[in-house]
Amino acid sequence: MYLDSWSIALALINILGLFLILTATSTAVRVLRFWDPDSDAKLQIDLENETWLASTLVQYGLWFQIAALVLLVAAADSFSNVLAGAMCATGSLLANNYGFPLLWLKIAGVFFYGFWILLHRLDIQVETYPLVKVKFAYLLLLLPLLIADSVLEVLYLGKLNPDIITSCCAVVFASGDGGRTLLDRTPVMITPLFYGLAALMALMSLTVNRVFRKNGGGGWPRRTMVCVTGVGWLAFGGVALIAITAVFSSYIYAMPFHHCPFCILKPEYHYIGYLIFASLFVAVFSGIGTVVAQGFAGRDDLREETTRFISRSAMVALVALTVFVTTVTVPMLVYLFRGGE
Amino acid sequence: MKFTGIERQLNILDYALHSLARRPGRHLSITFIFALVIFLVASFQMVTASLKHSADVLLKTAPEITVQKMVAGRQVMMRVGDMARVGKVFGIKEIYPRVWGYHFAARNGANYTIIGLDPARQRQLPPYLDGVKMPLAPGEAIVGLPLAKLLDLGGRRVFSLARGDLSLKSFRLAGTFPAASDILTGDLLVTNIADARDLLGMKADEITDICVSVANPAEVRTIAGKISRVMPGTRVLTRDQIRKTYQAVFSWRSGFGSICLLTALAAFFILAWDRASGLSAGERRETAILKVLGWQTTDIITLRFWEGGAVATMAFLLGVMAAWLHVTIGAAALFRPVLMGWSVLRPNLELVPVTRVSDFIIVFTFTVLPYLAATVIPAWHSATVPPDAAVR
Repeated sequence: MYLDSWSIALALINILGLFLILTATSTAVRVLRFWDPDSDAKLQIDLENETWLASTLVQYGLWFQIAALVLLVAAADSFSNVLAGAMCATGSLLANNYGFPLLWLKIAGVFFYGFWILLHRLDIQVETYPLVKVKFAYLLLLLPLLIADSVLEVLYLGKLNPDIITSCCAVVFASGDGGRTLLDRTPVMITPLFYGLAALMALMSLTVNRVFRKNGGGGWPRRTMVCVTGVGWLAFGGVALIAITAVFSSYIYAMPFHHCPFCILKPEYHYIGYLIFASLFVAVFSGIGTVVAQGFAGRDDLREETTRFISRSAMVALVALTVFVTTVTVPMLVYLFRGGE
Repeated sequence: MKFTGIERQLNILDYALHSLARRPGRHLSITFIFALVIFLVASFQMVTASLKHSADVLLKTAPEITVQKMVAGRQVMMRVGDMARVGKVFGIKEIYPRVWGYHFAARNGANYTIIGLDPARQRQLPPYLDGVKMPLAPGEAIVGLPLAKLLDLGGRRVFSLARGDLSLKSFRLAGTFPAASDILTGDLLVTNIADARDLLGMKADEITDICVSVANPAEVRTIAGKISRVMPGTRVLTRDQIRKTYQAVFSWRSGFGSICLLTALAAFFILAWDRASGLSAGERRETAILKVLGWQTTDIITLRFWEGGAVATMAFLLGVMAAWLHVTIGAAALFRPVLMGWSVLRPNLELVPVTRVSDFIIVFTFTVLPYLAATVIPAWHSATVPPDAAVR
């Protein structure tokens, strides 16, 4: 199904992303080979100029990747009009084996780009650019990721056949028996687990924010705290995705048997899903970002910046978490108190 | 003074807008051409969206399952008696016959579609028919507006069509379909089943389709399967299949159109790249002075980004608005022939504009994102002007 506006748009945005990252990669290769901060040669001055280009390109790449993610979900939703049996994005993504891997890869891409920009932000705050080699080595990883993304996308769109009958979300996410189900056995305790973990993460983020506001004094207690928080955020991200699918989405639809993480993105539900997923991703990203920053806290030239960054990042995570929990909880409370339609 | 990230962006945006306002001519041509390109893409997208929408709305009145008999890959007539065999399938609410065919009018070279409906089923023709007394009396017909115009009735309510043997069959006009349904009813004449048979030269118990309505919509596919087992050699169509086929055809056509437009887009992006690369002496001076004043390379790149962003936003709004007018007022005159139509009777279509966020996302992806990507490297280039260029 290459000849659909959505397919063409997806292909276009991938080509643009490849173009941006290829250009940045050529800079990265030159920087890794020739970078010499002590030199006054023209090559070094050119390279310093080019690092600005590369960083701008990757920032564009991040935004393009986010756009591509939104585009993929919207495209899958639109494909469901054409594919027999599909009623929303779930069906279209399950129409062949490449749909969900592509979605996960795109989400991973957003995080990968984001971490690069995080490194870059840390780097340019110090005059000597201590992280130049690290960040450009990391940049080289983005290209294979993007190529894998493109290959998967070509496979997904190519294998998308309007004649194949796929499943609708009512079948896939139903907690009943039989059929292909993504959520085979939802743990009964998912709601308490979700709220417990959310409260824990809020508390830990607040602690990290407080502790790192004061400078100086490194050592293992801080390191452990940040790492534990990072792992906690990763776990929370997973639990939250399951909870959205299994619990919260059906309150938004006001239909107890409709569990679907994609239908909440539709206009019928005021696009509330975009706010939910955006706040969740921001929270998880900032949470994990503190671990990335902590990785460089040991370097003398970066200690002050990382400390400030971790403190601020923990605050961002806390705010995003509050927004996220509020957005998923309000429809549930409304449903519980006003009753279903 | 130390600014936070957002304040910095706002200040640079402020500067960018002021510099655009000071020299409005510099970006005028590029904005205009960009708006034109966006207009083309957006019109295409909107026409497709409203065509899909019309097809969706109108197909709601179609029967859930249609059964047609095939011999040697072609559709042939069935007998009224065949309906009894379908009736054995459990879960069917109602079965009714339908007669349809094409009528070639030698006078104007057009093909009319003739549909004959059972009197009991005619009451279900609305929602888009008001003021027509149902069921139709013998010899009465409802026609689409374009067809009525083509028949050139003037004030008369009686008209005749030629049978196959060139004898005349006269009809009384009971009413017309509204313009909103022109996409399906433009060439349509609906009449009683007996009159349709008479005009099309069919025998008294012949029918073209068996229409089936199903009690439980969730069972449509199962029942369709059962019918094809009971009546081998038939083609069983479900409404959902027809709807998806329509959607697929429109998607395919609009995708094909988009590919054609990609050439125009590519040409524009090359132009934009070229324009942004050619640094005038004034721009070099401006950059150099800003650098002397303490602006960083990133600040200049951000400035160029906001300039490009302002141009893109303006062009996007202009283009999308023009496209909207083109679709609503101009009835998409430019693209209609590509997206629909195979008969002389198609043209008179009133498009209901459908504004969906998803269409804007597509238009945005097709136009603004490539523009930003095409201008980023020139923007960086212009930002690397050394500060001493101002005094050289």
